[in-house]
Amino acid sequence: MAASMSSSCCLSSLRLIPFKRTFFSSVNPPSKNLILRPIPSFLRTIVTFQKIPTVIVPPLSASSSSPSSSVDLQPIEELPPKLQEIVKLFQSVQEPKAKYEQLLFYGKNLKPLDSRFKTRENKVEGCVSQVWVRAFFDEERNVVYEADSDSVLTKGLAALLVNGLSGRPVTEILRVTPDFAVLLGLQQSLTPSRNNGFLNMLKLMQKKALSLEVKADDGTSESTTDEASVVEVDLESKPPSVVEVEESESVSKIVALGSRGMRIREKLDKELTPDELEVEDVSYQHAGHAAVRGSAGDDGETHFNLRVVSDAFQGKSLVKRHRMVYDLLQEELQSGLHALSIVAKTPAEV
Amino acid sequence: MEGVAMKLPSFKSLAPTAISVASTFSIRRSLSFARRSSSLSAATITADSEPVSLGHRARKDFRILHQEVNGSKLVYLDSAATSQKPAAVLEALQNYYEFYNSNVHRGIHYLSAKATDEFELARKKVARFINASDSREIVFTRNATEAINLVAYSWGLSNLKPGDEVILTVAEHHSCIVPWQIVSQKTGAVLKFVTLNEDEVPDIDMLREMISEKTKLVAVHHVSNVLASSLPIEEIVVWAHEVGAKVLVDACQSVPHMVVDVQKLNADFLVASSHKMCGPTGIGFLYGKSDLLLAMPPFLGGGEMISDVFLDHSTYAEPPSRFEAGTPAIGEAIALGAACDYLSDIGMPKIHEYEVELAKYLYETLASVPDVRIYGPRPSESVQRAALCSFNVEGLHPTDLATFLDQQHGVAIRSGHHCAQPLHRYLGVNASARASLYFYNTKEDVDSFIVALADTVSFFNSFK
Repeated sequence: MAASMSSSCCLSSLRLIPFKRTFFSSVNPPSKNLILRPIPSFLRTIVTFQKIPTVIVPPLSASSSSPSSSVDLQPIEELPPKLQEIVKLFQSVQEPKAKYEQLLFYGKNLKPLDSRFKTRENKVEGCVSQVWVRAFFDEERNVVYEADSDSVLTKGLAALLVNGLSGRPVTEILRVTPDFAVLLGLQQSLTPSRNNGFLNMLKLMQKKALSLEVKADDGTSESTTDEASVVEVDLESKPPSVVEVEESESVSKIVALGSRGMRIREKLDKELTPDELEVEDVSYQHAGHAAVRGSAGDDGETHFNLRVVSDAFQGKSLVKRHRMVYDLLQEELQSGLHALSIVAKTPAEV
Repeated sequence: MEGVAMKLPSFKSLAPTAISVASTFSIRRSLSFARRSSSLSAATITADSEPVSLGHRARKDFRILHQEVNGSKLVYLDSAATSQKPAAVLEALQNYYEFYNSNVHRGIHYLSAKATDEFELARKKVARFINASDSREIVFTRNATEAINLVAYSWGLSNLKPGDEVILTVAEHHSCIVPWQIVSQKTGAVLKFVTLNEDEVPDIDMLREMISEKTKLVAVHHVSNVLASSLPIEEIVVWAHEVGAKVLVDACQSVPHMVVDVQKLNADFLVASSHKMCGPTGIGFLYGKSDLLLAMPPFLGGGEMISDVFLDHSTYAEPPSRFEAGTPAIGEAIALGAACDYLSDIGMPKIHEYEVELAKYLYETLASVPDVRIYGPRPSESVQRAALCSFNVEGLHPTDLATFLDQQHGVAIRSGHHCAQPLHRYLGVNASARASLYFYNTKEDVDSFIVALADTVSFFNSFK
């Protein structure tokens, strides 16, 4: 919901989005940006004139220490209970090395898979290491999983999935999307190729769950088609979030900043003395997001895009830069701000 | 115009305001002495103790190396997968697009003429770099893989008959196995593979014995991207030519690191990739002897490679154009030319000498880590290894190793099969880790790697 600030949209900043905004752009044409100087705080609105729809959020920003991103994530409550526990456990462990240790611990305690089950059908495709997954029903028609891998990190990931999904009914398993990998905070600790393996592991486990169901339901054709259509919808509705592509619309939407937006702007302005500062309220893009409903503190101001160009970032890695911004906005994050998408550059990098 | 391939001064003089980035590389000027003077004076500075090593000097040209990843300084040890590019090469690419980008070969106007000149000059530079006798023996392709496919489809399909034999080794890169599989299926030719001897290099005696009257082609690597060994190409060519067979050399790992002289080797075909020799991706080349290329039918059809086009048939251009259909990667070719200049300015013999030392240092320090098994031959008086080591640590999956090295130490190595699955199967492993160096690496890089490796091993060991 837009705040009740002035609806007179002052075009306070007009930007020509540079052609390539990659971290490694080392050759820039003589600056042709029409970026104006820091906007006086009395001007309330920020206008992004045009959004280039193909901006891929650089993997580095996805690897920031913040647990939130501006892409719709499956809410944790929809996950099977054991998996929720695991996610929360990993979220509570901040340091990457400690996360690894946790992961390895899971892997170590994974029940070994009998070698006769290490068949081609049980092998996970797209893994750099070898991973096998086996699935079968228990007496109550819950799916039980067993898995193994020759790589201990992958074994850890497999163990996560086995522990999180084993003993649950098929429908619950099929509802799980790979989004929770982001919540684990492991995504930034694991290279994309390994993450693909994680994705494929999950997919295989879901596929096996479904085929167990189909096989067991051989007589009743109705329920199988139901399952099939449920699967169709689920597996395709949420795209894998391994690489997060910004779902920007090439629509210029003028959103007046509410009080939170203003506070963010003021804080960053004061602490970072930026050369350029853009605060864009994109909460409307996440209006359907379950976490937004009811938990937002301030007029539904939950998601923002930030672009900050400041000398304060000099000499800092991207992770550190993002941390700086998050640290400054701690209060907001704790009172309903859900996600920030941050572009943090030094003046030289623009 | 010029028949000699001179290095043109860069186009900075045309646009003094452009490329302000270049001025931030103040050390570029210190290397400018090498540009003006001949390579002889550059060679007097050896890679010895007191003067700063080649690695330290060269690093300054590579901005990408000066960054942190995951909180640690980047240590890039994956140059066998792709090399980094010096500022001069990036500049050349930028210059092209900024000042004279235009389609080549048929244009009349000024920009087009300039682009064509630079493009053909790049071809000459590549020819000179490998000492080809004529620049028309250089066909620009997308990469070495495409170059091998070109030979396979063009030369192979029209020259191989049922029962003909093509000799490869088990250590070949996939790009020098799969095209021959495809073509042999179509033609009925037979593939034969040379295996490794006890030194873990392809068995040369076996290769010699395999060559027979039936052999039509021997396609082998010059330097192995896994074993770090090199093959005696000159001798192999002699044996092959005795029976009328042709030789294709996959020089992807040799051209960037040492002097490669195609006339001396007398190879019939030679392929290499630009992106492994400080050039951009998207361009590579095939060297082929003139008489061979002249007799080969086209590979891809389209514009540029034709002479006259009618509705029902067309006539084709002379090589190399015959094999360069469509608009080429013009800027990339020009940047590859700049890469050849850059490397030549340093001097390939100097680069090679530096890398031999570094290779030895890498091997020795790596071998001293317990439970490490390095593949390929041991370095000795007679055996010089390339500056790379593929290895495994007992009880530790190479992917785990590479992940931890990257995440906790910023060390970039590669893990997997390195596009050599048959070789890994032969060695009895699923995958290996590989650290590969280039002349912009230093001993300190190797040291960092070893320290990180030891830490990684102990971390995973503590979980056993």
